[in-house]
Amino acid sequence: MSSSINTACRSPKVSLCWIGAVLLSLAAVSMAQDIELRVPSGAVAGQPASISTTGGGSATFYLEGPSIALKRDVQLGQDIQLSAREIEGAGRYVATICASNCSSSVFFVAAGKPSTLTFLVHPSRAPVGQPDMISGVAFPFDEFENLIFTPETVQFQISSKESKLASHSVETQNGVAWFRTSSGKSAGAVQVAASLNDVQARRVVQQVASDPCRLQIKAQRTPKGVEVQTDPVRDCAGNPVPDGTIVTFTAKNGDQISTVDAPIKQDVARARITAKGTIVISAASGVVMGNEIRVGGQ
Amino acid sequence: MMRIQIAIVCVTLALAVGNLKAADTSPQVTLNVTKAAPRTVELLTQRALLRDYKFAWANLAQALESNSMESLNGLFAGTANTWLKGKVSTQRLSGLSSRYSNQSHKVDAVFYAPEGDVIELHDTAEYDYQVLDGSKSIHSEHAVVHYVVLMTPGADRWVVRQLQAVQHF
Repeated sequence: MSSSINTACRSPKVSLCWIGAVLLSLAAVSMAQDIELRVPSGAVAGQPASISTTGGGSATFYLEGPSIALKRDVQLGQDIQLSAREIEGAGRYVATICASNCSSSVFFVAAGKPSTLTFLVHPSRAPVGQPDMISGVAFPFDEFENLIFTPETVQFQISSKESKLASHSVETQNGVAWFRTSSGKSAGAVQVAASLNDVQARRVVQQVASDPCRLQIKAQRTPKGVEVQTDPVRDCAGNPVPDGTIVTFTAKNGDQISTVDAPIKQDVARARITAKGTIVISAASGVVMGNEIRVGGQ
Repeated sequence: MMRIQIAIVCVTLALAVGNLKAADTSPQVTLNVTKAAPRTVELLTQRALLRDYKFAWANLAQALESNSMESLNGLFAGTANTWLKGKVSTQRLSGLSSRYSNQSHKVDAVFYAPEGDVIELHDTAEYDYQVLDGSKSIHSEHAVVHYVVLMTPGADRWVVRQLQAVQHF
């Protein structure tokens, strides 16, 4: 183009010719800069949207999003359709259109309606009667796994087979809702549920007996030694302490001390102590001490 | 003549230094944990988060520039990993690549779960962003982007599970 202008402008009316050429160039530049993209202002993830363009002729359209990059030929002046699949990811998108030059525009896609709740509950086994023992955290996501950042109200509910134990209504802040609560008084499975509209997530926490509350032992001398056993071992709320919990029996005979560890089996721990003479027997489990009993010699 | 030669050398050096600076992909990250609740962030956790989030961005930039997932080193999981894979594969398919340079991230921890199994970060990221079609630059900008980030602890590192840009926090 520049060579043709040079040739043409060797005519006597040089200045007029150059002015014309400059004006033409300016017009071309202005046409090239005229491409305008009108991007969607309230796009929602997974919903089709369109981008309008100005000008005419063919161009190349590019879209860069959180999970996608695409390139396609388009006609300027026509709307560019974005399919639901192309804008599934919530976040920032850069739309670019290139003809003789490129122009870009940025738009945001917001998350859709709640579809799932990611629900984390701790612990899976909780001793009864403990303050702030159970906690839960819920993140609402739409069907394309976009975090929903706008405030939503999540209902947390803790219930056993028999009754509803606790309920908390919490509004999400920064896309998260959480609660913390004390464990109940009875051992057994409790269901912890988080719900948001018709979306629900459930977890089960096994409430187990806490530490033994008191230990009561009894002993009897037999030909093989002293048979010692506890009464049924329970926590302070009356729940039977789980099988396998260790009870330590200690026998003192003057300066001699011997100990036997016995697991609780069906609420009771049993042991045989083979000491001779008069002995004093005591029991302990965790931080709980039992009574002392004196057993005379044979 | 000598002066011209010296000028050419100076200009060449200046351009080389400029290129080196532009190619800098090591992100600058600052992490503020004072707003984190309900659990406070322990010092060691803070260090690990800072290290792994910085690596994650360096790896993300490398993956999107080279269109290869090999550089990710397991620092992305779940949705963040799926999205990144999707972007890398569609970029490769379209002959595109993107470049994040001169990254600076101001990160605030806003939620740290009671049991320490998830943390939410708000990252105000600034970087020079360039999109290339082959070797031709089709878009370039200095971007300021707000990211909501969810990270969870793995065996030996914190991994990014969600990396979602929002218009504002």
